[in-house]
Amino acid sequence: MSETQGLVAGLLLALAVFVYTFWPENVFASQRAKTRLDYLFERKDQLYENLRDLNFEYRAGKYPEEDFQVQRAQLENETAQLLAEIDHLQQA
Amino acid sequence: MAAFGSLALLIALALAAYNLLAGAIALRLLATGTPARISPERLADTARRAGIAGFVAITAAAFALVWSVFTNDFSITYIMEHSNRALPGPYKFAALWSGQEGSLLLWAWLLATYGFVLRLTHKSDVTLHAYAGTILAAIQVFFLTVLNFAAPPFSLLNGPAPDDGNGLNPLLQYPEMVIHPPMLYLGYVGFAVPFAFALGALMMRYPGEKWIKITRNWTMVTWLFLTGGIFLGMHWAYAVLGWGGYWGWDPVENASFMPWLTGTAFLHSVMMQEKKGMMKSWNVWLIFSTFLLTMLGTLLTRAGLVSSVHAFAESPIGTWFAVFMGLTLAVCIFTYVLQRDHLKSDHHLESLVSRESSFLFNNLVLLVACFVILWGTLFPVISEYVVGNKVTVGAPFYNRVAVPIGLFLLFLTGVGPLLPWRATSLKSIRRNFVLPVAVLWVAVLACLAAGIRPWKDGTFDGGSFYALVAFAISAGVLTAILSEFFRGARVISKQTGHNLFAATYLLTRRNTRRYGGYIIHLGVVVIVIGLAGAAFNRSEERELALHDKMSVGPYTLQCVGFTQDANLNYNSEYALLDVYKDGKKQFQMTPEKRVYLASQQPQTMVAIHSVPNWDLYVVYEGSNPDTGQPIVKAFLNPLVSWIWAGVAVIVFGTLVALFPSLSPATASLRVPTARPVPTEPVLRSGD
Repeated sequence: MSETQGLVAGLLLALAVFVYTFWPENVFASQRAKTRLDYLFERKDQLYENLRDLNFEYRAGKYPEEDFQVQRAQLENETAQLLAEIDHLQQA
Repeated sequence: MAAFGSLALLIALALAAYNLLAGAIALRLLATGTPARISPERLADTARRAGIAGFVAITAAAFALVWSVFTNDFSITYIMEHSNRALPGPYKFAALWSGQEGSLLLWAWLLATYGFVLRLTHKSDVTLHAYAGTILAAIQVFFLTVLNFAAPPFSLLNGPAPDDGNGLNPLLQYPEMVIHPPMLYLGYVGFAVPFAFALGALMMRYPGEKWIKITRNWTMVTWLFLTGGIFLGMHWAYAVLGWGGYWGWDPVENASFMPWLTGTAFLHSVMMQEKKGMMKSWNVWLIFSTFLLTMLGTLLTRAGLVSSVHAFAESPIGTWFAVFMGLTLAVCIFTYVLQRDHLKSDHHLESLVSRESSFLFNNLVLLVACFVILWGTLFPVISEYVVGNKVTVGAPFYNRVAVPIGLFLLFLTGVGPLLPWRATSLKSIRRNFVLPVAVLWVAVLACLAAGIRPWKDGTFDGGSFYALVAFAISAGVLTAILSEFFRGARVISKQTGHNLFAATYLLTRRNTRRYGGYIIHLGVVVIVIGLAGAAFNRSEERELALHDKMSVGPYTLQCVGFTQDANLNYNSEYALLDVYKDGKKQFQMTPEKRVYLASQQPQTMVAIHSVPNWDLYVVYEGSNPDTGQPIVKAFLNPLVSWIWAGVAVIVFGTLVALFPSLSPATASLRVPTARPVPTEPVLRSGD
C-alpha cells in the first residue's frame, strides 16, 4: 500500500467513525436514578442468600446447634429490620 | 501501511479524547441536573459510540502493524528491528509485542477491546457504565498519546529500507512466547475495568454493592489471564533460560506477581463487601493499588529502572508512566477523600476467629507479601538514590521472606472455609478441625518416615524443613477442602437421592462461585506441592566425549553423538543422549544450542523428560573452548509437573466459578414480624 493509498484509507476510516459516532439517534438506553428502596431490595436478596448458606452449612454439620441458633437469630433480626424499612418506604 | 497505521492511531486518540470530554460533561450535567442545549443522555451516547469507534481505529492500527510484519516492510523502523524474512509465521505475530512500540499498541488494543465489550453491555447499568467508560477513555488517552508522540510504532527509517531485518530476540522464539505476553497483558490491562468501575462507583456514590456483581466476571477473567500469563512465563523461563529453575525473583517477574497478589486479595475481600457490607474502603484501595501496580510493572519493564532478562526495551517513556501514575493516584486520593463517608461499613468484625477475620488475615498476608516484593524490587533504585550504589536484592532475600508467608497463606486457605461467619465457638472448632489437623500430623510422620528430615547429622536443613511443612499443610488443606465437598454432597444426596458423585456435581452447580473457589484452592495446594519439590533438586555438569556417561538420580546419560542442523532462521547443534534407568535404555534426549542468523545470538533449547515424580532436565551448554569437548548439564527436579497440573486445576476452577449457579431451591424462611421502623436507617450505606 503506497503512502497516498494509506492516507486515503485513513481518511475513509475517519469518515466512517465520525458518521457512526454522531449519527442522529433518538432512542438512548437510560435508567431512573437508583433509590434507597432499590438498594434495600438488593440487600434483602443478599440476606436471604446468607440465610440459605447458613441453613445449608448447618445441615452439612459445620455448626453446632447453639451456634446455628445464635447466627440464625442475628440474621433473621437483620432481615426483619430491613423488611420493616422496605415496608415503611413503600407505604410512604 | 505506515501512513494508514499512523492516521488510525491519530483518529483513535481523537476519539478517546472526545469520549473522555463528552462523557465527563454528560455525567456532570446528569449529576447536577443543569439544563443544556444538548441532552446529556445524547451526549453520553455519542461518547460511548466514540469509545466503540476507537476500538475499530486501534484495531486498524494493530492490523497495519501485523500486515507490515508479514509483508516484510523494513522501511518501518520497528519492523526492521524486530523481524526478518526467515522468521516463522507465528513469531511474526510475536513481533507485535517484542518491542516497546508494538507492546504499547497491543496494550492499547486490549484496553479498547475490553472497553468495546463494556460499552456494548452498558444496558445493565447505564450510568455506572458511562462512568466506567469515561475512566477507561482517560486511560486510553494516555496510551494513545504515548503511542502517537513518544513511541510511534510506524516511524520510518531514514534512508532506503534494508533487504532484511534484525530478527526477533531469540529468547522470544519459543512457542509459549506467542501466548505468554498477550495473556499477561490481558491480565494487566483487564484490571483497568474493575478499577474503572470501582472509581466510577465511588465518584457517583453508587448505592449498594451491585457494582461488584457487575464486575465480578471481569475481575475473575482478568485474574485468570494474569495467572495464566505468570505461569506461562514460568514455563518459558524453565524451558528456555536453561538454569534449571522457573522463578528467579527477577524484577519483571515480580512486576507481574505484585498485581496478582493484590488482585487475589481483592477477589477475596469483595466477598465480604457483597455478603456483609464490610471492608468497603479496603476494597476500593485494593483495586486502586492493583491497577497502579500494573502500571508500575509497565514502568519497570519499559523504563530500564531495574535490570532484567525480560526487560526487552528501555526508553524515556518511563517518565510518561511515572507522571500518569502520579495523576491516577492523585485522582484516587481526591475521590476517596471526597466520598469516604459513602464507604462506611454495615457491620464490624465481631471476633478474631471467624470467616471474616480469616478473609482479613488472608488480605493482610497477601499485602505483606506484595510489600516485601515491592521493597526488594525497588531496593536497587532506592539504594542508588540514597547511597549512590545500586544494591541488588537476590533470590535468597525473597525466599527467606516469601516462603513462610506463602505457607501461612496456604494454612489460611484451609482454615478460612471451616470457620463460621461472625464468631467461632470451641465446639465448632473441634467439629471442623479435628480431621484436617489429624491428617496434617499423619503427613508429618509420613514425610519423616520417607526421609524428609529438617535435621541431618545435627545440622538444620531449611529446604527440607519448609518442604516438610509445605507437604503437611497441603495434606491438611486438601482434607479440609475435600471434607467441604463431602459434607455438602451428603446433604444434597439426602435431599435428592443422588449418589455422592452426582450430588457433588449438583452441589458445585448450585454454588459455582464457592465450589469453583475451592477447586482453585485445590490447584494452589497442588502447585505448592510442586514448588516444595525444589528443595530436593539435584544437578550434574560434565564434559561428555562420545560414549561418555554421567549420572543424575536414577538416570544414566550416555552420549551417542552430536549433530548439526540449519535452516533459514538459525544453525543448531544437538547432543544425542541415550538415557538409561536400572541398566535399561529408556529414551533419547536431544538438548540443543542454536545460533540465530539475523541477530547472531545464541540460544539454548533445553531437553525435558517429565514424569509425575520429577523432570529430567538436560542442557547442552556448547563446547569447552580449551578442550573442545561438549559440556552437558543435567538436573533432576522433583515434582515440577505438579506445578503445571496445579495451574490446569486453577483454570478449571475459575471456569467453574465463572459459570452461573443454578437458581436456589425455594425454601420458606421463618422471619419474625416486622418491627416498627427505626428512626435511623438500619444499613448505613445506600443513601
